[in-house]
This record gives sequence, structure tokens and C-alpha cells, in this order.
Amino acid sequence: MPLMPKKVKYRKQHRGRMKGKAWRGNTLAFGDYGLKALECAWITDRQIEAARIAITRFIKRGGKLWIRIFPDKPITKKPAESRMGKGKGSPEGWVAVVRPGRILFEMEGVPRDRAEEAMRLAAHKLPIATKFIAREAVA
Amino acid sequence: MRKDITIEAEIRTARGKNEARRLRQSGRIPAVLYGAYKDSLALSVDPRAVARILHSPSGHNTIFQLNVRGGEVTPAMIVDWQYHPVTDKLLHVDFKRIDPSKKIRVRVPVLTQGDPRGVKQQGGLLEIVTREIEIECLPEEIPEHFTVDVTPLWIGQNLRAGDIPMTGSMRLVTSPEAVIAHVIALRGAATGEPAEAAQAAAEPEVIKKGKKEEEEEGEGKKK
Repeated sequence: MPLMPKKVKYRKQHRGRMKGKAWRGNTLAFGDYGLKALECAWITDRQIEAARIAITRFIKRGGKLWIRIFPDKPITKKPAESRMGKGKGSPEGWVAVVRPGRILFEMEGVPRDRAEEAMRLAAHKLPIATKFIAREAVA
Repeated sequence: MRKDITIEAEIRTARGKNEARRLRQSGRIPAVLYGAYKDSLALSVDPRAVARILHSPSGHNTIFQLNVRGGEVTPAMIVDWQYHPVTDKLLHVDFKRIDPSKKIRVRVPVLTQGDPRGVKQQGGLLEIVTREIEIECLPEEIPEHFTVDVTPLWIGQNLRAGDIPMTGSMRLVTSPEAVIAHVIALRGAATGEPAEAAQAAAEPEVIKKGKKEEEEEGEGKKK
């Protein structure tokens, strides 16, 4: 099931801006390998889930995966063919605001080549350019 | 660990982000030197020299000679550093003056050795929880790393910071209960079919919804 918050204070949010770089969450914290964002984007809950499924299907049993982003921003949409105005649309989904440098996924317990392939498959499910990174000790 | 390395540094007179950016454009990076109850100094250094130390086997715990042009020559170590989030280039370094006679607190990497029995025979997964431990020791006695043997671990067993033997002036600062590594049982690959996505339409609970409803009712009455 795609990720979403259990409780929120407000149902709708402003869109905000995606200026700057990811000055937090930009280093490997758990695993040996990771996938780093090189662009900014709203990553939807479905994209995160698709990438997670791609990774877990490829590595099957073995290995551990960490998802370092969480879609906590509600996205609204107006119904089709509705006139402008009449207030903000209704919540349609959830996104994670990702800035360049953010680690999206981390992995441990698999050989480097398998981790690289799993991350490559996951990267195809995401709307941004990414790069594979490894801890210096295992690089 | 002391190394016969000398880093040349220059005193930086201009301050601020604009000057720092110009400095980086010119191929050097801003740095700062402090410690040993002396005044701090704003410096500029060659990032390649710093990167060489950071990527050496002793890493940031290397003690080297810092030669400030027109100033002091002091033993120092790298205590903090910043990388660019995307390009991974060094942006800034903090140097600390080292007094060889005084104990210092350092973070030392912990490396694991061997394949745990819980992985080989039971099909578990070795998870490394803590990759560095903090110790207090004399600068001359800082180890490059600690190596722990994880071979005897079965599923559910762990290795704690307290299990790492300390020698000489070393004292463990990290909690001895801190788990270094453990072997966990693998769960079945949870693929989570997209069919479950249908449930996603449900909205999360809004905190203080009751109050909001009351307000809305109040507004309705006003109208």
C-alpha cells in the first residue's frame, strides 16, 4: 500500500517551492548502497511504491531496504471540465518534496552488482535523474 | 594516529559567502582552525590535500602538521567537514589543534570480519547498526579502526560496543549497550501488489477535526 500520513493537521497545503539543495538526508545513514536524486521533484506515493516493488522483486529474499523519503505533502486537483474558482480542489494524492542530493533509497546485504541493478530498475520508476552511490568502505 | 603529512594553509582575511564562493572558484576551500584554548583562525586550504587525508586508512583521525603561512605550525586533525550534496566536492573543513599530552574524544570506525553463522547456516541477514564508536584516548593511541569478528553470531544475537576490547589509555564513550551489528531473520519479500492502491483513496485523520467542524458550524450560523 502506498505511503501516506496517518494523521494530518490540515487537509490541504500550499504548493511551496523547491529551491536549493538537500542539505539534510544527503548521506548514507543505514545501508551500504543508495540512490541519490540529482534533480528536484515531487515524488508521488505511487512512484515510491513502484520503485520499492521493483527493488524487492529484483533482490527477492536477501538484502534490506530503507526508504529515506516520505510523501507527507497533500496534492489537490480540481475535477475535469470544472470552471476556475470555487476554491481549492480536493486532495488527490501525496508527494515527497525531493531536492538535488537527497538519498531516496538505501540497501544492505546484497553484492554491489545486484544493488546497482536494483537501483537502476528503481530509478526507471522515478521522474528524475538519479545516481547510484556506495559507502567508501565497500566502494 | 600521527602521520608525517603537512598541510599548507593561508590566513583568510576576507569573510562571507561571496568571498567563500570566490575562494572555491579559485580552487581552494575555506577552513577554520580552533582548539587548545587559543583564538580561532580563518584559513584557506587546498581541498585535494584534505581529501587525501580523509580517504587515507586513518581517515579524519589522522594527526598532521598544519603549516599556516606567516603563522603557527601546529599538530591538528580534521574534526568536521562538509561536502556538496550533489557534486560531493569538499566545501569547508574544521581543523582542531591537538595537544599530544591531553586525551581527546574521537569517532573510530568499526569493521566487521567474517560471515556470521546465522547468515551462512540459518539464512539471516547481518545488519550493521553502528559504524563508528566514540572513544577517549591520547592522540598517539588513536586506532585506525576496530575489527570485530561476527562469525559466532546466530539469528537474534548481537554484538555490542562493550564487547570491543579497549587498550592503553582508551575509554569507551559510546554506551556499552549500543548494538554494533546483529543478525536478523529475513522476512518474505513483501512485493505489495498495486491492487492494494485502491485503499489509498482513504484520507488520513485530520487532527482537531471536531474543533474545525464547530468553527465551520459557527461560520454557517453567522452567514
